[in-house]
Amino acid sequence: MGRYIVKRVAVGLVQLIGLTVAVFFLIRLLPADPASRLVGMNPSREAYEQARHQLGLDQPLLTQLGAYLGLSSSGPGLLEGDFGTSWVTSSPVGSEIATYLPVTLELVTISFLIAFLVSVPIGMVGALNPGGRSDKAVFVYGLFAGSQPEFWWGLLFVYVFFFALGWAPAPLGSLSPMTSPPPSVTGFLTIDSLLAGQPDVFVEALQHLVLPVATLVFVLSGPIVKMVRQNMARALRADFVLYANCAGLPPARVARYALRAAMAPSMTLIGILYGFMLGGAVLVENVFSLPGIGQYAVRAVLAYDYPAIQGVVLVITALSLVVYLGIDLIHAAIDPRIVH
Amino acid sequence: MNAIEPASAAQLAPPPVLHVEGLSVSYRTGERVATPIRGLDLTLRAGEIVGLIGETGSGKSTLALALLGLVRSPGRIVSGKLLFGGRDLLAMPPDERRAVRGRDIAIIVQNPRASLNPLLRIGRQIGYVYRSRAHSSAAETRRQTIELLREVGINDPERRVDAYAHELSGGMAQRALIAMALASRPKLLVADEPTSGLDVTIQAQFLDQMWQTVQHSGSAALLIAKEVGIIANYCDRVLVLHEGRIAEDQPVRAFFRAPLHPYSRAVLALQRDGAAKLSGVAMAAGATTRPLISANGLSKHFPVRNSAKVVQAVSDVTLDIWPGETLGLVGESGSGKTTVGRCFVRLTETTAGHIVYHGRDLERLSGSELRQARAKLQIVLQDPFDSLNPRWTVAELLGEPFRIHTKLGRAERRQRAADLLKVVDLEADLLDRRPRGLGAGAMQRLNIARALATKPDFIVLDEPTSVLSPSAIVSLVALLRRIQVEFGVSYLFISHDLTTVRYLCHRVAVMYLGQIVETGAVEQVFARPRHPYARALLSAHLDPDPANRRVDRRSDEQLKGEIPSPIDLPVGCYLASRCPHVLPRCGEQPQNLVPLADGRSVRCWRVATGDLTGDALTGPLV
Ligand SMILES: Nc1ncnc2c1ncn2[C@@H]1O[C@H](COP(=O)(O)OP(=O)(O)OP(=O)(O)O)[C@@H](O)[C@H]1O
Ligand code: SF4
Ligand SMILES: [Mg+2]
Repeated sequence: MGRYIVKRVAVGLVQLIGLTVAVFFLIRLLPADPASRLVGMNPSREAYEQARHQLGLDQPLLTQLGAYLGLSSSGPGLLEGDFGTSWVTSSPVGSEIATYLPVTLELVTISFLIAFLVSVPIGMVGALNPGGRSDKAVFVYGLFAGSQPEFWWGLLFVYVFFFALGWAPAPLGSLSPMTSPPPSVTGFLTIDSLLAGQPDVFVEALQHLVLPVATLVFVLSGPIVKMVRQNMARALRADFVLYANCAGLPPARVARYALRAAMAPSMTLIGILYGFMLGGAVLVENVFSLPGIGQYAVRAVLAYDYPAIQGVVLVITALSLVVYLGIDLIHAAIDPRIVH
Repeated sequence: MNAIEPASAAQLAPPPVLHVEGLSVSYRTGERVATPIRGLDLTLRAGEIVGLIGETGSGKSTLALALLGLVRSPGRIVSGKLLFGGRDLLAMPPDERRAVRGRDIAIIVQNPRASLNPLLRIGRQIGYVYRSRAHSSAAETRRQTIELLREVGINDPERRVDAYAHELSGGMAQRALIAMALASRPKLLVADEPTSGLDVTIQAQFLDQMWQTVQHSGSAALLIAKEVGIIANYCDRVLVLHEGRIAEDQPVRAFFRAPLHPYSRAVLALQRDGAAKLSGVAMAAGATTRPLISANGLSKHFPVRNSAKVVQAVSDVTLDIWPGETLGLVGESGSGKTTVGRCFVRLTETTAGHIVYHGRDLERLSGSELRQARAKLQIVLQDPFDSLNPRWTVAELLGEPFRIHTKLGRAERRQRAADLLKVVDLEADLLDRRPRGLGAGAMQRLNIARALATKPDFIVLDEPTSVLSPSAIVSLVALLRRIQVEFGVSYLFISHDLTTVRYLCHRVAVMYLGQIVETGAVEQVFARPRHPYARALLSAHLDPDPANRRVDRRSDEQLKGEIPSPIDLPVGCYLASRCPHVLPRCGEQPQNLVPLADGRSVRCWRVATGDLTGDALTGPLV
């Protein structure tokens, strides 16, 4: 098992390097001119050239790549863990990501946990009584929730729960503008507030998470329920479940046989969905003005901030790879047929 | 705990264990409703084994499950009564019904491995079943489980109890299911083709065990089988399922003497006609002094992943095949038959040894000579659907060898393809069709036609009949014999179907774990096999003759346990762990194939020294 993990991590690193190089060239293939964006309208020739020089864009591509990776003598690079400096804010990309990423991770992880806890029992019940009333209700719900993009639901939730009912705080970030955030330790507001001994800030952070999390749960539950239901229905049709019934095992035991068999394939899909949502939560972050990694990525792209774009792609991919590895390990723990 | 002892007044017939009345089962898929079981009545009595046969799709498996009150989704038991010990199973509260299922009725299903939970160790699963019937501690359950596994003949049960289903062979998985089924000494055992996919020696072990269980415990058994040989050898009564009802119900001897239902007559006639049509192979005797093709000291090892060890698929096989001859290669799965066949046509490189064709070592041939030789050496594979590209038309499929080996034009190739179709008795209007819609029999004919395109003098037939229906087998064998007479080809016929080998082959070689253990003329070997393995294999073969039942004859040919892994083979005789005649010396000394006076060769020192004589097997084999 240990060897397998080492191997996967090694392969992951190779993938990341390949991806870095690919992204590096791809964004430079775009018909964009970051230097002119940086110097503003109608710059002088010199100012423009100077900006290009500053960004290193006047160098040959391979030299630029070498500098980015840290292979040249110009300073530390990616291979030493340095993501470079943002061209827009001039602060290190690494520390910027470290402030933006936890917001998204917090949002997406909590949403997934809740969506998972809600969806699995619903999917199971649907599979146990196919065509029953609850099964049909879930089907209709899935259609309904999937009928609109998540930002639309987010806006609707804001309208109903903040504007009309006043139950939720304004969609203006992770905390109210009046509250000063706790000192950043992990970057996760919920954790940092507790570490700082500020339960009121913790509660406030949770209140601000309610609507965005609800939006994501609302949208994610549809597909997860459908998937669990499908996998569960398939497991229930399996020969070994039929045989368990033949052998007179109690219904609870039979249901556990099926659930375990349904869990393994569901985990994989949930892992993929999670990796996807790390980047895909941007619309919801936008609606609720949450300073998440999606927002950061959009800003970086619009400003042609190459180091920031590369950093975000790299970090999200690395995270996804870690999640996939974790999922595969869980899968292997559930299913003895998988040998590494 | 004790079930109701039925107070039968007249002790003439044993008391019924299960009485089924007006049972109907239907499947609803969308708008269509199929009702494979329609108002079926049936009685099973204590101490009898009842055979059930019927066409495929006639509802045998559906009935088997329905006897426990279960159906596969989306099926439903529409009506009927299942009177078990006088109480209707279908009218019971669910808890009681479940208790009856666990305790009194057990089932063994068609597909053993899929019936085990892949995610749990088998010991856990058997333990759950055990504990759902009797309260016991975890340690006690484990002890009992190990004991059960030992009883059903699993080697090393202390270790296997912690195995997962995918780590078991089909035979072991089946034994684990048997362990579960027999755990509670059920009053009724339902076995749905319990031995399909098992090797014959394992099949014999299982059926013998089931027979003994029923005899000793006075329970009843319903045995569903495709082969009438099984029915004849193990059943007391035969039922025929047809159009959702029992269409015939006869004692086994009467059934084989005078079958009543047209389906029964057709099934039995097929076997007899087949025998009549095929018996008596005469070899086209020619004055030949040299074998057409031979294998000398052939060995083939496959590397094992992540290990320095090797699988010894074939070790030291020496075989001659003469012009116009058919050599049968028999043995259980994994014995290396296919690998030998593939080495003969050089589809697989050999690890050691040579293939000599027309007196020349195939390995020494130059490129163009080898290509020519290849055209003359053909192989027909087991699964006809695998080996034909479904996107090509029949004309393209059959024309391809001509495109590769000749310079014929398109029209000529088509003509040749049409000729080949005629040779294998297929209609010429197939030419422009794709093979997709064809049945297995026709597909296999196409494969043979394709092999014939290059006018080969040697064809390896690798289990060509294993996916065919009985009637298709009979006609394919007739075709192969006609082709042999017409074109003078030699065959290496690989099969585990001993009846077909008997009909088609002149000589036979019996393989076990990569070695040939006995080889000789078919009549010789089939009538009086000498090697203990050959004896076990041939006596495990079940003839459809209720007058000469395996259970009535004394059988000391039974092998113990399972085939060992071909990775860690013993030093001495490979059969030593299973042989009923084993002596200490067997395990120490490697065995060689020794020629006997009567022309055959046997790999067993006890036979070679005349120590083991071996009677003729009682009764004709065909
Ligand atoms: N789960 C299912 N859903 C729908 N139809 C089914 C299902 N199982 C079986 N059937 C149909 O019921 C009929 C009887 O099938 P069953 O498997 O009982 O036959 P069988 O006699 O056991 O066949 P075989 O000899 O191939 O084992 C067939 O027409 C089959 O197509
Ligand atoms: S050598 Fe010994 S173990 Fe092997 S077959 Fe002969 S008697 Fe049996
Ligand atoms: Mg069946």
